[in-house]
Formats: sequence, C-alpha cells, structure tokens
Amino acid sequence: MLKAKVILVALGAALAVPQALAGATPEEDRKETVEYFKQMFPDVPFEEFVNGQYALNDDRRKQWESMQDFPPYEFAVAEGQEMFETPFANGKTYASCFENGGIGIRQNYPYFDTEKNEVITLELAINRCREANGEEPLKWKKGAIASISAYMASTSQGKPINIKVPDDPDALAAYQDGKEFYYSRRGQLNFSCASCHVQNPGKWIRADFLSPTVGQPANFPVHRAKWGELGTLHRRFAGCNNNVRADPLPAQSEEYRNLEYFLTYMSNGLPVVGPATRP
Amino acid sequence: MKKPLLAIGISLALSVPLAAQAGPKEDFQEVYSKAQSTHQDAGTFQWTITGDRLKAAKSAADNGDYEKAIAMADEALKLAEESVAQRKQQKEAWRHVAIGN
Ligand code: HEC
Repeated sequence: MLKAKVILVALGAALAVPQALAGATPEEDRKETVEYFKQMFPDVPFEEFVNGQYALNDDRRKQWESMQDFPPYEFAVAEGQEMFETPFANGKTYASCFENGGIGIRQNYPYFDTEKNEVITLELAINRCREANGEEPLKWKKGAIASISAYMASTSQGKPINIKVPDDPDALAAYQDGKEFYYSRRGQLNFSCASCHVQNPGKWIRADFLSPTVGQPANFPVHRAKWGELGTLHRRFAGCNNNVRADPLPAQSEEYRNLEYFLTYMSNGLPVVGPATRP
Repeated sequence: MKKPLLAIGISLALSVPLAAQAGPKEDFQEVYSKAQSTHQDAGTFQWTITGDRLKAAKSAADNGDYEKAIAMADEALKLAEESVAQRKQQKEAWRHVAIGN
C-alpha cells in the first residue's frame, strides 16, 4: 500500500501539465487531444491506439499476439449471441429494441437521448430493453450483460466510433460533466484519470503499463486476466477509482455514463475492436 | 446517622448515569456523526479510506471499546475534511489541466 503511494506521488511530481489550449467545442477538444497523443507517440500509427498498452510496449504486445489464436472471450461471445437471439417470455427479442436489429451499431454508443435528457450506454439500452419487455434487468458489471454487449460489439468490429454531441445544452452539459470527471483529482492519492492516462501513458506504474485516453473504450467489454472473465467499461472505471482510494460510483450512474460519453467521444473515428483481452 | 448515608448512597447511584451522559459513548457519537456528515459532503469525491475508518469506529463502539472508536472516528473526520477540501479545490482546478480549456 505504502509502496504504491510512494510510486504514485513520484509519478505525480513528474507530471508534465499539458499546455492549456483554448478549445470550446467537443470537436476542438478531440482534435487537440488526438494531436497531443500523436506528438507524444509519433511512431504509433493512430489506429493502433485502440490496442491501449499493446500499442506502446513491444513485450506486452508479443504476449498479447500469442493469445489471439484462442481468445478467452470466445465462449462468452457465443453465449451472448445465444441470449441476444433467444426470445423473451413475450416472444420478442433484443433486436426489437435497437436500430438495425442491434447488429453493427456499437460504434454509435453511448448517445445522448434528447427526449429523456440523458446519456444512453449500450448496457443501459440492453437492460431498458429487458424491462420494456417484462424481464428483470441484469447486473451491470459482468456476466450476461457483458456477454451480450460483447456479442453486439463483435458485430461492429472495424466500424469507426461515431459519438455525437447534438446541438443541445443538456447534451453539451453531459459531455462537459464527463470531461470534468476525467480531469478532476480524486481519492486519497489525489489522482485524476488524466494524471495517469493523459500525463503518463507509456510509463510503468508498478506492474502495469499505462494506456492513453484516446482509444481506451474501443476494446470493451474486455476480458482481463485479472478478472478471469469479461467486464464492462464501468467495471474498469470503478477499478481505476478504487486504485487511487476514491469511492467508485455505481455502474451506470449518471456520472459514469457522462464519463463514458466524454471518453468515447475522444475516440471518434477509431475502429471498434471489442471484445478484447487485457492483463 | 443512617439517613444521610443513604442519601449519599442514592446520589452516588444517580450520578453514574449523569456522568455517562458526557462520557465516552457520547463523545464517540458526536465525532462519529460529524465524520459521517462530512463524508457525505464530499459527494462524488468520497475516499475509500474514510469509509474504512468509519466502519472500524462503528465496530469498536459496538464492542464497547470507545477509546479506539473515538480515535477511528477522529481519523475519519480528518480524512473526510480533506476529501471535502479536494472537492472544492477541483471545482476549478481541473480546468487548468484539461486539454481544450
Ligand atoms: C493511478 C493511475 C490510474 C488512474 C488515476 C486511472 N487509471 Fe485507468 N488504468 C490504470 C492502469 C494501470 C490501467 C491498466 C493498464 C492500461 O491499460 O492503462 C488502466 C486501464 C484503464 C482502462 C482500460 C484501457 C484498456 O486498454 O483496456 C480504462 C478505460 C481506464 N483505465 C479509464 C480510467 C478512468 C476513466 C479513470 C478515472 C476515473 C482512470 N482510468 C484512472 C491506471 C489508472
């Protein structure tokens, strides 16, 4: 514990504060962010950022490539497909709740619903679909919901992430809220998401190798060796909050959905590669 | 002779609950509830360690160990105050480090 803190404090001291550039719109934010990481990693092809730490570290990448023949999430994806296609008690299926029957749409999530005035993530849409059809909602962070989400992501493989912030003050507020969350220091260790993923990607933090902001959500849901199973993006958010001794917020809370909205917007144009594996 | 003694005896017996009112249990409850409400004030900036200390304080109190309970609640209060200060500070500070601000 103490050791971790010392390392974190040392990292914190070494932070290069990114130049505060004047950006007003989400699109300006995104362009500046992409530019920032391109300058930080000039040799990394842009599309590679979806592979997180594997884009930045050759040893990690080799280990990862050797796993690709038998990805550990294959079974879960097959299960997800089966659940996705199995009718609810009322005879309808998930397909009835989604555009294009739910196939090849992952890249559009999360989106801002201007009628409900909130961010709709894929997992939220999955559970709302269940409830609209008289089924119990699933647990948020792992298990069936992660499998269904993984199957849906797999049908979007390679499609460019396409998050929109409509011209609507509430949508913009949700985006800004997510941005504020990402850059606000939290927890006893006093770290923001950006302290690690903007200021220190490409560096080791104990046994972990830090990935950059851009590309981060593209590979979700993710099968982590540490978990031994698939988990959703909000499960990862909770883990990262916990690591700096900040109380995690509930999965699919408004805060985490707004955070996902901002974070995924930053990856616009990059391909969906989920599900994937990580340590 | 006997009556005054009895009176003293009664007043002594009565003074026990009186003394307890300002005793360790009440001291504990005061810091504990202050720590709890300060922890709430941290909103989405709560620290895990504050919750840990609050739990430890509560269980020590349940076991009648008020000395430990008060020490834990004091720590929780201090941590909660730091998290509230962090919340206030970050309200503006994040803007200075965000890309695109
Ligand atoms: C103390 C450093 C630290 C902080 C602070 C931190 N993370 Fe992480 N995060 C990590 C590490 C370590 C990993 C695993 C290695 C990697 O992929 O970066 C990780 C992984 C991730 C991943 C998965 C990346 C992938 O390729 O699968 C996401 C998404 C993520 N973090 C988001 C966040 C968010 C959002 C926050 C703020 C709430 C945050 N992190 C705060 C250290 C941190």
